[in-house]
Amino acid sequence: MKELLISADVAPPLVGTVIHDVRVPSRLDLKPELIDTLVELLVGAGQINEDERQWLVLVLDEAVVNAMLHGNEGDPRLDIHVRLATQPDGWSLQIDDQGHGFSADAIPNIDDPESLLLEHGRGIRLMREWLDSLTYHRGGASILMRRRRCTPGGDSHAV
Amino acid sequence: MPCEHLIIQAYDGIVLAQITKPRLLEAPVINAIGAELLLLPERHMKISLILDMEMVEYLSSAMLGKMVAIYKGVKLSKGRMALGGVKASMMPLFKTTQLDKLMEFFPTSKDAIMFYKRKPL
Repeated sequence: MKELLISADVAPPLVGTVIHDVRVPSRLDLKPELIDTLVELLVGAGQINEDERQWLVLVLDEAVVNAMLHGNEGDPRLDIHVRLATQPDGWSLQIDDQGHGFSADAIPNIDDPESLLLEHGRGIRLMREWLDSLTYHRGGASILMRRRRCTPGGDSHAV
Repeated sequence: MPCEHLIIQAYDGIVLAQITKPRLLEAPVINAIGAELLLLPERHMKISLILDMEMVEYLSSAMLGKMVAIYKGVKLSKGRMALGGVKASMMPLFKTTQLDKLMEFFPTSKDAIMFYKRKPL
């Protein structure tokens, strides 16, 4: 698996039309509604089919939890900023937290047999498995994910 | 108080834990299920634990981590652990995270029970 990109720079501008732009306090009780909204927007825009819903929910859950709990350390006074953009052939989601980011060294390599029994550190791997692109910016305080649009038959095509 | 998201049955040295909550994403749910399941290896030495996943539709990495914790508890009690009825669409999560190498998987919990009955510890 390729090395995770964590850049000090701000994320590049979202490509396409921003269809959702919201700031949410770092409260996990607000997470289900946020995720449901994003899922319905992507399904409604024909970007995601029902077969992909399971993965999408997982990826959004990981990203939102990381931003709220690790980035903002669960401080409800701090917001996460969520922006979703679509274009004809795919979608992009950017989530910014108000934390200080993280180091790639903090993420265990789960291919290492000694890491197999760790009880954490699998979220980013799962996200990278399904997304076409996952990059971190502002030292890790901003996540940018991209995925190509699904095709009606269930497969996705390249962006 | 027993966890409302689990139905646990024990017979012939085999413990079957059926997870009844389809979405394993929220921390209170994951923690409640984990707390109850982590007690099982303490109560049953050499436990043969089967997690029935048939009703589960969504799970997070936090739940995968909890499964690893339960697995470690089971191994400490010299027991074994299997997952039954994991949806085909969910198997990539276990493969991607290498957990398919750690735990035993069966198409259904019934298959796991039959296998464990044939090969008692």
